[in-house]
Amino acid sequence: MPRLIPPLALALIGLILFGDGAYIHAKAWLAQVLLERAFDRSVASGEAVKPWSWADTWPVARIEVKRIGASAIVLEGTSGQALAFGPGHIRQTVDAGERGVAVYAAHRDTHFRFLRNVAIGDIIEITRRDGRHFRYRADVSDVVRFDASGIEPATHDFELVLATCWPFDAVTSGPERFILHATLIEADR
Amino acid sequence: MDTYDAADGDEHPLLGRLIRVGFFLLAQSIAVMLVAFVALLVSFGTSWSATTEQASLLQPGDARSGSLLLKEDGTTTEAIRLGTDVDITVSGPTLRARVTQAFRNPTKDWVEATYVYPLATDGAVDTLKMVVGDRIIVGDIKERQQARVIYEQARRAGQKAALTEQERPNIFTNSVANIGPGETVLVQIEYQEPVHQSGDEYSLRVPLVVGPRYNPAPIVQSVDFRKDGSGWGATTDPVPDRDRISPPVLDPAKNAPVNPTSITVRLNAGFALGEVKSHHHNVKVESRDDTTRVVTLADGAVPADRDFELTWKPAAEKAPSVGLLREHVGDADYLLAFVTPPSAGQAAQKPLPREVVFVIDNSGSMGGTSIVQAKVSLTYALGRLQPNDRFNVIRFDDTMDVLFPASVPADAAHVAEATSFVSALQARGGTEMVPAMRAALSDKLGDTGMVRQVVFLTDGAIGDEQQLFETITAMRGRSRVFMVGIGSAPNTYLMTRAAELGRGAFTHIGSVEQVEERMRGLFAKLENPAVTSLSARFSESKADVTPAIIPDVYRDEPLVLAAKLDKLAGSLEIKGRVGDRPWSVTLPLQNAAEGKGLSKLWAKRKIGDAEVARTLRELTPEDADKTILALALDHQLVTRLTSLVAVDKTPSRPEGKPLKLSELPINLPAGWDFEKVFGERQQPTQLRERHADARNQPAARRPTPAAPDAIRLPKTATSAELKIIAGLVLIVLALILFVFNRRQPLLTDAA
Repeated sequence: MPRLIPPLALALIGLILFGDGAYIHAKAWLAQVLLERAFDRSVASGEAVKPWSWADTWPVARIEVKRIGASAIVLEGTSGQALAFGPGHIRQTVDAGERGVAVYAAHRDTHFRFLRNVAIGDIIEITRRDGRHFRYRADVSDVVRFDASGIEPATHDFELVLATCWPFDAVTSGPERFILHATLIEADR
Repeated sequence: MDTYDAADGDEHPLLGRLIRVGFFLLAQSIAVMLVAFVALLVSFGTSWSATTEQASLLQPGDARSGSLLLKEDGTTTEAIRLGTDVDITVSGPTLRARVTQAFRNPTKDWVEATYVYPLATDGAVDTLKMVVGDRIIVGDIKERQQARVIYEQARRAGQKAALTEQERPNIFTNSVANIGPGETVLVQIEYQEPVHQSGDEYSLRVPLVVGPRYNPAPIVQSVDFRKDGSGWGATTDPVPDRDRISPPVLDPAKNAPVNPTSITVRLNAGFALGEVKSHHHNVKVESRDDTTRVVTLADGAVPADRDFELTWKPAAEKAPSVGLLREHVGDADYLLAFVTPPSAGQAAQKPLPREVVFVIDNSGSMGGTSIVQAKVSLTYALGRLQPNDRFNVIRFDDTMDVLFPASVPADAAHVAEATSFVSALQARGGTEMVPAMRAALSDKLGDTGMVRQVVFLTDGAIGDEQQLFETITAMRGRSRVFMVGIGSAPNTYLMTRAAELGRGAFTHIGSVEQVEERMRGLFAKLENPAVTSLSARFSESKADVTPAIIPDVYRDEPLVLAAKLDKLAGSLEIKGRVGDRPWSVTLPLQNAAEGKGLSKLWAKRKIGDAEVARTLRELTPEDADKTILALALDHQLVTRLTSLVAVDKTPSRPEGKPLKLSELPINLPAGWDFEKVFGERQQPTQLRERHADARNQPAARRPTPAAPDAIRLPKTATSAELKIIAGLVLIVLALILFVFNRRQPLLTDAA
């Protein structure tokens, strides 16, 4: 009988860990489904709609890269809570479509997993909460340190930066970030 | 367990064992579920906290990437050197200054240099010239953003370029791009300024160093709510440009002074000169004739660590009381008038009883000689109070004390108490000026028929001037604010604007020797009624006069008017009241003397008026900006919204060679205490590498690796994969063990 305890304990811990990991992905996926609905209502009503009543953030934009079929709803702010549910819009930066740099960041293993497949020249489409639609073209990618992003908020062009952790396949987190830079090519309603 | 086995084993050995196994498994599975549930709850927490920003603990100093440390001892430091020459020509009531900065690059790299320096608050900066070898490139005035773009383009293209930007009305930044190895680039700016007059003393002031400013941390009071009415907002920084006005400061204990400066003043007073005196520098005064002098520094160049102040007096008893200058520019005439109203009969008038609130700044920047000057000044002021006056004393750093709950009569006991309070003050801490100003302006006694005055002693070393101005505007009521600028490099912009908004006057005290003379002058103003209800009228011409509403003029101060006229004809009549008597003076415009740069002075004052109107909420920020921009572009002036930019069309830096940025360090103002300001000794100066090639750094447009507003990217990796992998490994391991365990009993049974 005592011989059964170690394998059971191991199995237990293993299950907990596995469940926890799966839970992060499940949360990320489920949140996007709820966010998608909240965002559609936002666009329709023009008001900030919280995806669930106790949320401390709200959807601000939709990112789409049609070539690879990727899409995500961006939330306001980049607190840990927000990033668990979707990409976050860094608060110091402007909204997409405004003069300056809009910076969106998300986890490399959930919402921005698709960034590794985005090629230079791809069209990144942003739909803002107010329903306005902007097309950006990816022009440069770079790997930087988190505290030396080199992103200048007060630029004179209309720019977009998508940021996530680098390297993509690492399992632990590090100081390096992958940034994909894009410039506005078209804006319409 | 074995003993139990033996005891129960007799009756139902197999059944008992099965039941026990069943119970065990049930208990285990409940435990598993419980633990799993708890673990899941906990994992919420951990996964949240694991994804919060890890950046906040890092100090800016750690974050500089690609930085080159320089050797610390002054002799071998490989850095951009700067020499400054100031050449001033005084023509009667106006002066023109030419400031030449020589940027020498002794390093082997191509360098971009930035230098933060002060200029006179009233100075109208209109010219930028860059001298490269034997070529002179004259700068153009452009909107600030546009000038920045032109400069950045030239910088990237390897062309030499110079950019002059205004950070505050008295703080400017010069940037020079692409200084080659071993090269020297001269940058020359020129400005026009009126000469300051007080009584029969004329003066000019050349600030040479920007005192390190205290920039308050963002506070919750200033919140920008989003316009969409969602009720969400972000707190704003009271000093959004704090990195632009905080150049590195050298610790005088560790470094030789830098930035040698030579000064020449060609004084052409327009009247026979009496005493000419420099207050903080040794000078040589050469005399050509009665009305002209040439003033140079006696010991050659000096380090730029204190303001240069020169005063002169007429040989005759009285200074001329009226001055009138004209200039024709474009299709308009510009006029500058100086009128000193007669002082009221002093003996006849007994000063009105007053309520005076003294505010003394005992923050860290006042450490060293400044706090001594401030204490001596305040002690002197306390001694001048009359028994029927009321007074109070407030001291502040980043904390604040109000001596008496409300103003008290200035009897011997109260004055003695205040004097001992003042003499015990020590300089330390930050400079939170706004709460002290609020306390001083809150009028607790109400209208008692007393004149209410606030005397504010400070060096003005703060970066959020605008907040102080708004406090004065909002709360001034019937109080009048008198500013006393203390120390070797006070913030003159803060002093003049605060006194203007507070309808008072200001004075500078740069050394203990000046205390008595200057405080006596200030008290003469405090005690004597001003010339009030002033108005100006042109008989024949249409005029755009600044100031539009003429403020009260204190004893010994001249009234200075600038006007733009459609034609120079008729006369100017100025009316007012001195005490209770009416006073007026009429100046025929035909008698005006030819002057130079008056249009710029007029425009500069109009710009100042627009800034004041913006602070007073008389103009919307948009309208004020529009007015300022139009004036600045018309008259070629550097303002908050316009910069001068000069680009040498010939590219000089070969493609592919990197460009390094050097932020030129400044001296600590003389008499300041380094440790009181910065707390501890600083890191050595650093050169930062910077790629001129924008392709390497897509969004890097400005060298702000350590700037507080640089964007930090949040942590964007979850531990999901790590957990899944580890979980799977453990489950597989458990399965192997389980199978192995099941095998063993079978094997033993078989055996």
